[in-house]
Amino acid sequence: MIFDSYEAYKQTGFKPKACILGSGPAGMTIARKLGTAGIPIVVLEAGSREFSEESQDFYRGKTVGDFYFDLDITRLRFMGGSSNHWAGWCRVLDKQDFEPKAWAPDTGWPISRADIEPYLGEVHDILELPAFRPDVPVSDDIRWVQLIKSPAVRFGEKYADELDKSKNIAVVLNTYATELTGDGKRITGAKLWSNGQDAGTFSADYFVACTGGLENSRLLLWSNERSNGGVVPNAAALGRYWMEHPTFEGGNAVLANYSEFEVDGSNEAFFSPTLAAMERLQIMNFGIRLIESPYPNVKKLIADLACTAPNMAEWMSFQLDQRLRCAAQLYVAWEQAPLASNRIELSKTDVDHAGVPRIELRWKKSPLERRTLLEGLRLFGTTMAQKNLGRVRIDDWISNGGDYPTNEETAGHHHMGGTRMGTDVLKSVVDANCKVHGMDNFYVGGSSVFCTSGQCNPTTTITALACRLGEHLGKVIAV
Amino acid sequence: MSRFIRKMSRRAIMQALITLPALSLFRSQQPVVDPDEIVEINGWILRRSDLA
Repeated sequence: MIFDSYEAYKQTGFKPKACILGSGPAGMTIARKLGTAGIPIVVLEAGSREFSEESQDFYRGKTVGDFYFDLDITRLRFMGGSSNHWAGWCRVLDKQDFEPKAWAPDTGWPISRADIEPYLGEVHDILELPAFRPDVPVSDDIRWVQLIKSPAVRFGEKYADELDKSKNIAVVLNTYATELTGDGKRITGAKLWSNGQDAGTFSADYFVACTGGLENSRLLLWSNERSNGGVVPNAAALGRYWMEHPTFEGGNAVLANYSEFEVDGSNEAFFSPTLAAMERLQIMNFGIRLIESPYPNVKKLIADLACTAPNMAEWMSFQLDQRLRCAAQLYVAWEQAPLASNRIELSKTDVDHAGVPRIELRWKKSPLERRTLLEGLRLFGTTMAQKNLGRVRIDDWISNGGDYPTNEETAGHHHMGGTRMGTDVLKSVVDANCKVHGMDNFYVGGSSVFCTSGQCNPTTTITALACRLGEHLGKVIAV
Repeated sequence: MSRFIRKMSRRAIMQALITLPALSLFRSQQPVVDPDEIVEINGWILRRSDLA
């Protein structure tokens, strides 16, 4: 069942056991798991079926610190959430991403990769993925890893018919919780806003916040402030340890053999460090995207020449009326060290149309990450030279310690942390089952529960964690 | 040292000076450069042998 307003939904008399806030990959996956188990569920989706400027305006916010994307363009607020602009890149966090690292404080999860592996079969069906191949060691330091570019499932489009026909799942569009109320043990209700106006209060036995890697923190911070700590009783880490995947062009490479690594449809291959190399150099995880030269024959020769004799290559490119870049390009994305100082706060001056304070994101890259970028490229370049696979050149701004460029990708639009998972209530918000510490009926889904970010795109892991949470909730609710 | 030089004939001193360059033949060889050593030059990560 899909409704366009809370008013229309209310008239059905539907009695849900649980309320899921948000219909992105996490919320939709949990709802489908519970619905399939015969549990009546309501999903509140703030936006409608399509993008609208009016809905998107609720996501405006401010960033303090490093340059970052506008907060209303880095995510989407309509059915299917940010899957609507997802590029479809898939990989699950590595086993090593779940382990604590002595050289990086506050790393390590309370669960291991083995805890989500039983759900990967479902994830492959949902995201329409072929099987992943195992990583291939290139050296003791570098792995050739696989990142599958899936058809980029738009959750709203893919599941609209299924949800419309479902008897157990009610999706209510244009409706969201401006605030949850709680007594320090349970969520007692939600104040709703539907189609531009106050829609009263709503209650359910269980609530699951799946509003996104920025918005979960905003909702919980605001609700907790209004309930005097009754929504997140242990709030020391709430909004904190927020992470992204900073991404920059890091250099070029001349390859000895262009068929050495099998590339995907975009002529790309991906590389990451081994745990031993990370430990030895005391750096975070990273991913190098090698984009092989797309040029054939003579153009490829000139592109190779552009690395070593740029002036000559420029002249030859001019003769060919082409702009040929130096051989292969290297992009680096890396794991951010989880820092309490990288955090989401509520604006003291700016509110949305419903009166909820907007986000003020405080975000800075750390010196450890800067070292990860440089040492990561050196590690990759050393492997390429030692194995005679090619030669790498690191961009000057990286070698010389220059400022981060502001005209490049900057980051991956991956919003992680803020309500992180853990056992220490001072450094985490939810437990290993994604239940808010100290609360009996309140759970969080999505990448806001990530303790560390690893180096890969988060959607595959988000979906696996959502399958796991859906199964857990099904057992809890059935009791 | 100066008394030792005074006792030497000028001819002997000249002969000694003339043979000085030949002493380099007896000097130990330069340390061998590893062609596989990895070096970083102008941002390039290279093998030493790439520089030959």
